[in-house]
Amino acid sequence: MANQNGQIYGLTILSPIIQGDSKDLAHASAIRWYLARQPRDRRSPLARVTGTHQARLVVMDDVVYVGAPACEEHLQSRYLVFETNFDGDLDAYLMRMAAEAHEFVHSVWQHCVAYPGVDDPHAFAAYMKKCQVNTTFYFADVNNKTVKQNLQALQLQSALARFIERHQGEEPAVIQKAFGEFLETMRRAPAPEPGGDDAHRTPQENRPHD
Amino acid sequence: MTNINGKAYAMNAITPMKWWKTPLLRIFFFVLGLVKPLQADLKNLSFIHFARWVIVPRNGFPHLSEKQPAENLRYDYLLFFSNFNGTWNQYIDAFSAVLSIGLNLIWWWSEKYPGAVPVTPFKEYIGRVQFDTDYYYNSYPRAATNDIKAALRVQDAVDEFAKTSQSLTLGDFEKAYVEFLVKVQPDLGSTGMAPVGT
Amino acid sequence: MTEIDVSDIQGFALRGYNFPFARYLLLELLDPKPAQRFAGHVIPHVTTGVKWDSGKPASTVNIAFTHPGLIQLGLPEETLLSFPVEFQQGMKARAEILGDTGKDAPERWDDAWQEDRVHVWLGVNSRSQEALEHRCSEMLRIADETKGARLLYAQDASSIFIDKQQTSKEHFGYTDGFGNPDFKGAQRDCVPGQGKLTADGRWEALATGEFLLGYADESGELPVAPIPHLLARNGTFMAYRKMHQNVATFRRYLDEQAKRYAPGTKEQLAAKFLGRWRDGTPLELSPDRPDQSIVKDPNRNTDFTYGADQGGARCPLGAHIRRANPRDAFGFNGKLVNRRRIMRRGMPYGTYVPEGQPVNDKDERGIVFIALNASLFRQFEFVQQQWIQYGNDSLQGNDNDLLTGNHGGKGKFVVQGTTDPRNPPFICGALPDFVELRGGDYFFMPGLTALHMMAAGTVDPR
Repeated sequence: MANQNGQIYGLTILSPIIQGDSKDLAHASAIRWYLARQPRDRRSPLARVTGTHQARLVVMDDVVYVGAPACEEHLQSRYLVFETNFDGDLDAYLMRMAAEAHEFVHSVWQHCVAYPGVDDPHAFAAYMKKCQVNTTFYFADVNNKTVKQNLQALQLQSALARFIERHQGEEPAVIQKAFGEFLETMRRAPAPEPGGDDAHRTPQENRPHD
Repeated sequence: MTNINGKAYAMNAITPMKWWKTPLLRIFFFVLGLVKPLQADLKNLSFIHFARWVIVPRNGFPHLSEKQPAENLRYDYLLFFSNFNGTWNQYIDAFSAVLSIGLNLIWWWSEKYPGAVPVTPFKEYIGRVQFDTDYYYNSYPRAATNDIKAALRVQDAVDEFAKTSQSLTLGDFEKAYVEFLVKVQPDLGSTGMAPVGT
Repeated sequence: MTEIDVSDIQGFALRGYNFPFARYLLLELLDPKPAQRFAGHVIPHVTTGVKWDSGKPASTVNIAFTHPGLIQLGLPEETLLSFPVEFQQGMKARAEILGDTGKDAPERWDDAWQEDRVHVWLGVNSRSQEALEHRCSEMLRIADETKGARLLYAQDASSIFIDKQQTSKEHFGYTDGFGNPDFKGAQRDCVPGQGKLTADGRWEALATGEFLLGYADESGELPVAPIPHLLARNGTFMAYRKMHQNVATFRRYLDEQAKRYAPGTKEQLAAKFLGRWRDGTPLELSPDRPDQSIVKDPNRNTDFTYGADQGGARCPLGAHIRRANPRDAFGFNGKLVNRRRIMRRGMPYGTYVPEGQPVNDKDERGIVFIALNASLFRQFEFVQQQWIQYGNDSLQGNDNDLLTGNHGGKGKFVVQGTTDPRNPPFICGALPDFVELRGGDYFFMPGLTALHMMAAGTVDPR
């Protein structure tokens, strides 16, 4: 199934945005300016939708005119593109969206045609699947690890580098004991939160390494 | 800049295709999916987390209510979504340099595609067909795909060494620890912010 | 065989002169008409790429301009706006892109660079001190007489002499100057390892357009260049960076780390920092010891690849030369590197202090780093931003270059090794800043025809 690569599902959703009688921008704009105000780091509503590796929302105003001799044509509606890469099962994911990020989902999708509300996760999932377009080809560099596994590995990698440097040159007995403690600490360490906390920081605020 | 979150860049592109060319592209993607070595170059470039191509046939835009006007399109459309590491220029330069054949096989069917080489008209075309992301979420913004793969290798190595590290005799531990270091040593780069996008 | 018009290209762009002494005169241009007169009077002195069949001159002169300098010369607006963006902005404005922050930040640069009045770089290279003084006074006299230019600062540089012998060492003790790229039309023999890799593992010269405007480049087109064609042709761009070196800090750090580095050898650790032993032997060719027979043989001293050392056990993945020129380290037969090469022409400045003698970080010493390329953005800036100040492509994450990176006392360098105790894995942490940027800018080095046009005020935008 081209929507899946290993354990990762690549969902592509095109939700028609409500036009209104005057074909004005009101609904598309509302989505845009709402999204512009939302946090994109660990406070992001999508951080609560467990299993989301990376996801984006794009208001697609129109198709593109690439220039003569290609013909110019236009879409009748604007579409909200939702592209997400997540762990596991599609239905479960959509229902998780409705449950964990209901305010975000509602604020965005209320501007879309035939949106059934977010109170009934099944109805929401069914609606989203009606908006789904099939991914023709899906590439995933790492396709067999969950978000949590990735984050834990990153945490371990960073801690291990510090461990190795700190214990360089020590006696094997000391290292062996310390390594045992290290393993225990890492085992008990809470999983890092997805989304990080520095999506908005400029490079000067975070130089050179942490 | 909403196309960027940490080390990842969300690129979106849309290109029109004459309807009778679409099946040819589908065949190519079908072959690409089956013949793994063709994907090897993509993996070896190692700066894409996830990427997808989505063919939206001219009657394939979702239509959910009579109140929604029907689309009336001449062309099929190829949508492209990529989550990649590095700058926009770096990304396109690299693809043009080493994957031009693959790119051409995918985009040749799109109207007015100039070819992936030379790179200047190619960048101009991409600039024309790219559209910007309104909201981009990244669960690991401080990690490029290289960092993730390195971290996963470290995880495996630690899990393996953990099985015996505490039960080895001192002499055996000393030896095993060095072997463990040699195993993880290429994968200890730190994570953090990406350089300024250019 | 690409024909290039050597009489129209400045010699500095075509080859390193290998003269031991240099002075870089940084000048401010005054009003356009006198400035044009100044340029016109300098032209007869400018050293071109024509071969020195009848013996080397005592000194050479070359000239380059910043964007404010071109404005001051009175070039038309449309021409000025057609120059690449990074050149128009100047290096100071690109500080964030280049990682010139903290100790490297423009606010801390030398006075000469603070007010954007550096318009002209007049590079004088010479075989003797007297020839240097003579030539420089000649140039300054022209500036005076034409009332076209004023000296802001004179930067002296020279080869380091050890036991009265000219060396190509720099102040940390490394032997420098290997690996400048070969390109088609450059008048020297193609040296294995300096060009690009072919499909069957040999080396050939890079496309001329990677280093000179107006010629085909590696991507099958003419490089992006300013208009008109006549102005751009045979020209190139130069990045000039005065890099102060903290020699005391470096020597102290090397000593301290070497004590903890199991083999205990300072020279081996120093080699791991760079990728060559301090005598110039490449680690890839001789990982266990320096070997002068390799160094002295131009057909060997830069002929190596990293393909057989993917793990970094010979030359660490983050070593300086591996970062600056990855060769085949990224796979794809080196194709990802071919458009990222830079031509280096820099020279040390300041008094050399031999190992073992007291030395002070505060003294003026370092290297005037000069890089030439057709595109500052695609070549120099890219290498600096992505490969020196960052490590993703070398698979070292955010770890940056030990020798020249911006560390602020943090960060680390991993020396990959083997289970052999003579070459162990080792991590150097708490990295100090070994170099500090003290000033610099981007310059356009025009061909001779272009210089004539600029001096005559006859540049038309189209």
